[in-house]
Amino acid sequence: MTMLRVRNLTVRFGGIVALDDVSLDLNRGEILGLIGPNGAGKTTLFNCLSGVIRPDRGSVYFETHSLTYAPPHVRAGHGIARTFQNLQLWGSMTVEENLMVPMDALGRRNTFSDALYLPFSSYAEQASAERARAILHVLDLSRYRNTLAGDLPAGIQRRVEIARALAMRPKLLLLDEPAAGLDAQETSRLAELLHAVRDRFHVSMLLVDHDMSLVMRVCDYVYVLDFGKLLARGRPDAIRSDPKVIAAYLGEESKNLPGAVETLAAPARHEPPLLEVKGLAAGYGGLEVIRDVELSVRRGEVVACIGPNGAGKTTTLRAISGMIRARRGHISEDTLRLVSVAAGHEVDITDAFELFPKLRERRRQQVGTLSGGEQQMVALARAILSQPTLVMIDEMSQGLAPTVVRRLFETIRLFREQGIAVLLVEQFVESALDVADRAYVFEHGTIGMSGAAAELRRNRKLVAGSYLGSAADAPAMVAANGNGHRPDPALMEVVSVRVPPKLKRALEQRAESEGRPAGAVVVDLLEKVDQQ
Amino acid sequence: MTEFAAYTIIGLSLGGIFSLAALGIVLIYRTTGVLNFAHGAMGMFSTFVAWQVFYGVSHPFWPAWLATLLAVIAGLTFAAVMGLVLELAVFRWVRTREPVVKAVITIGVLLALQSAASLIWKNNQYHLPLYLAPQTATIQVADVPIGANYIVIVVAALGLAFGLGAFLRYTSFGRAMRAVSDSPTSASLWGVPVNRVSAVSWMLGSLVAALAGILITPFINFDTTSLTLLIIDALAAALIGGLVSLPLTVLGGFLLGLLETYPTIWIQSLGFPRLVSLLVILVVLIVRNPRGFAVAAK
Amino acid sequence: MTSRLAFRILLALVAFAVLARIPVGFDVGFKFDAALAVIWAFGLLSLVLLTGYVGQISLCQATFAGVGAYGAGMMVSSLHADYAVAVIAGVAAAFVLGVLVGLPALRLRGITLAIVTLGIALVFERYVFQDHAFEWFTGGSGGWRIDHATLFGLQMDSSTHLMGAYVVLLGLFLAVALLMVNLHDSGAGRRFRAIRDSEVAATTMGVNLTRYKLLAFGMSAAIAGLGGAFYPLVAGSVSPQPFWLFTSLQFAAIAVLMGVRYVPAAALGGVFMAVVPDVLTRFGHGTFMGHAYEISYDWFQIAVGVLLIVQLIVLPDGVWGDLRSRAARIWSAAAFLGARRVKVA
Repeated sequence: MTMLRVRNLTVRFGGIVALDDVSLDLNRGEILGLIGPNGAGKTTLFNCLSGVIRPDRGSVYFETHSLTYAPPHVRAGHGIARTFQNLQLWGSMTVEENLMVPMDALGRRNTFSDALYLPFSSYAEQASAERARAILHVLDLSRYRNTLAGDLPAGIQRRVEIARALAMRPKLLLLDEPAAGLDAQETSRLAELLHAVRDRFHVSMLLVDHDMSLVMRVCDYVYVLDFGKLLARGRPDAIRSDPKVIAAYLGEESKNLPGAVETLAAPARHEPPLLEVKGLAAGYGGLEVIRDVELSVRRGEVVACIGPNGAGKTTTLRAISGMIRARRGHISEDTLRLVSVAAGHEVDITDAFELFPKLRERRRQQVGTLSGGEQQMVALARAILSQPTLVMIDEMSQGLAPTVVRRLFETIRLFREQGIAVLLVEQFVESALDVADRAYVFEHGTIGMSGAAAELRRNRKLVAGSYLGSAADAPAMVAANGNGHRPDPALMEVVSVRVPPKLKRALEQRAESEGRPAGAVVVDLLEKVDQQ
Repeated sequence: MTEFAAYTIIGLSLGGIFSLAALGIVLIYRTTGVLNFAHGAMGMFSTFVAWQVFYGVSHPFWPAWLATLLAVIAGLTFAAVMGLVLELAVFRWVRTREPVVKAVITIGVLLALQSAASLIWKNNQYHLPLYLAPQTATIQVADVPIGANYIVIVVAALGLAFGLGAFLRYTSFGRAMRAVSDSPTSASLWGVPVNRVSAVSWMLGSLVAALAGILITPFINFDTTSLTLLIIDALAAALIGGLVSLPLTVLGGFLLGLLETYPTIWIQSLGFPRLVSLLVILVVLIVRNPRGFAVAAK
Repeated sequence: MTSRLAFRILLALVAFAVLARIPVGFDVGFKFDAALAVIWAFGLLSLVLLTGYVGQISLCQATFAGVGAYGAGMMVSSLHADYAVAVIAGVAAAFVLGVLVGLPALRLRGITLAIVTLGIALVFERYVFQDHAFEWFTGGSGGWRIDHATLFGLQMDSSTHLMGAYVVLLGLFLAVALLMVNLHDSGAGRRFRAIRDSEVAATTMGVNLTRYKLLAFGMSAAIAGLGGAFYPLVAGSVSPQPFWLFTSLQFAAIAVLMGVRYVPAAALGGVFMAVVPDVLTRFGHGTFMGHAYEISYDWFQIAVGVLLIVQLIVLPDGVWGDLRSRAARIWSAAAFLGARRVKVA
């Protein structure tokens, strides 16, 4: 039975048609996938469905109601809940409070009886708190119940977003890129979670994601959008082999280029490295996120930094580029000049357009109005134009369509051909190792392993993701928020805490004997101290 | 008809002042992300410095043009230094904070400057205005005499608007300023001297504010509060330009000047122009933001 | 939950018992300061609700207080109503204006809302409170005097009424403050804070933005108006000057300075705003090394401005917030040491 019926939806932003005559049906109990290149209008469609923007034309029916012009909270009342791609948790409230808002917004609650703690409100309060606890338990979030949502690592925040949406007792759940920033293992756990949620809470879902392994595994039916238009729809396996979809979105299966590394003219080893980092330590607030980081990049070399979420890769990049200050250690003098590329350099722009044909169409548009993927392309194009000797790229594939990701990786190859060195932080281990000459594997804030990319690739454990463990579960989030300063949640990935060596050894032994990450043990201990 | 023409002239020159004040606000907002509520107060303080030089320091036997020149130079120099000091001592340290926090800081600046001025020059006291052109000089257009001071204002506003626009568009430093206004972090990674850009913006913005303050003295009740409160008209003009566009800001300033002047033909009220500027602000904000909060939510 | 409520009520009662006695031995001027401190504290408390809880900026809180003052003053002087009725009328007028000001806030936020409320404050100061078009109501720029009033039949003229007004104000303030603290942790408070942290998430999770934003503006204006409504009683007159734009700006500055998210910070700020300038002007003159000096009110405002700037750079959570987190840190350190001692033993 059709639950959600979308007809001829059209949305224009200025001159750009973000959604063009899109129709879509979703049946009760179904998980519907929505895929498409960046800028295809997926998030716009979500915004129309949840009422955040109004369509210029078209209609939305949910069950028996016409919701085309209903405000968001009315849709919520009918049972449509959503999560946000750019994490919109209420950061200064605890996780439990985050879950209670949607619960009691739906019940008829009165401001004044709430403030007076009248019996009716107290009773409702207790009921809400209990349900919140139940949902947190199912999603394995119980231990964060009293943590401020803004202090959690991004991966956990995504899960809390799902929990919060479920707290509304939704009939339809709109999930906007729930797997963004998750590694392979976390993604597969998310897939299990979504199935469990459907079975336990009887929720239908509409899912947007770029991670095809998730979409193919979870969805019953898939819609493909391109340029705001419906390109194709069908069962996942049919979509996977649909030539139109392959051309627009999936791209050809990547042919591994094992020769790439060998064909590279070996950089002169005696030449001093372009970038040399020794004993680097950096962090945010009271936390030290990375320590003893040693790495080097030679002229024309592509170096990848891989490792689990929160191992300190991005922080290292930030410290090298000067966005945060290094606490200890040495970054070779040369770098500073290399990073500050001359501004206003006049270079032939056609190079960039050849690489990114889509940019040519949008060249008169303001960059701020481009979609995430397009902005990423502009950033890379700008990198090429300024002809640097070293480019540092942080998580460029996050939130991008597979075709775009592939093209971006090809760009990196192009960089190398032009003799530009690249320092790359990447979640997609395999793709990163494909283009890189060497790689550093980050673990708990320092470098655990390094070597030639070809060698590391042979390490099956590493590539399969099992070695890269599940650091997102190790929430060493003892942020020192004493001064009320709240660090940017995007910066607050999982971090490691500096502890005396003796204590550290004891912790590690305990973690080993219990078979859990050390961070989890630390948190448990801290919680015990709190309770005493 | 001549009455109408006279009001038009007053409106245009008032509009010229609004444009000038608004230009400074837009400049600072674009390059540093600070919406400067203290803009009027900064202009006021520099204007009083010029006033002090004109009436207090310069010798009565000096020719008027020399005294005026000295006063203007002193006021503008002071303004530039004040802008630089504010940037170095205050706004450099809050660059990464939310826009609202920075705006509240400017309220602190406003309060401090306002009180300091009223301490030095006494509030609610009549001060003789400064005239850039001779007070009585007029130019006859058709049969309407136009005071030279009015013309100076309109010319200064238009000239500065075009000058600033050209500076931002065609010089490499102007491009750097625009890059900073889009994204300070990435601009700094790309080698744009962010510190220098924001220092220059504050100096320029403060300078323009001082110019607006000096030019406006003949037209208003010249005391500390009225100049500080010029901010609301300037903000209205800046909002017409969306806090971004220089040409629209200037146009908005002139439009607002006329809108505030014409009603005074019929309504003799000191407060009524404030209502006009509030209505302009409301209309602009609602027309410019038709999709409501969806756009703001981004 | 109920034990926490009982604790808070007890705390409020103790505070009332202590604070009500403080001005007793002082002269009329300090009694006036004490009453004024509570009036300003209401203004700051209104910002704790509006900015601290709901995240909406307002630079016209003094305007709401002024509307409360004019409304109450009008009832007393033209209709000779009992002051209790006058206060209710003043609060109602402020509530209505608050809801009206909340209307643009449905579309705007942050800086743009600050600009609009600044405009509103200026329109009221320069036009509504002063212009001859409204003179029948406001008495023009001079305002009017209120010579005698009765509160619940109790005569309140001469200078002795100041203590009475102060005690009533204090009681009301503590009651409202208690409600505000409760509100923070209640369901409605969570919805308010959800709007503060992310509006788009709040509305898609079922919070009716229109209703809660207007409610917040109305409640906030009513709180400011409640303080303002007592102003004619305390000062014996109504005039535009106490409610002009700079008072609104001071409200914003001092609320942020003290910690805009915390109810006790409002009380702290009220005392700061009323007592410090008076003490400065009273004792701040004399001769220093042969030079006569005099500290005027302007010095107070300079200090507010400079302190605000410094605070926003070094203590983002305000004075009260900083004290609170320091206390919490000492507390947890003590708890940690205590736990270790237990382990050792």
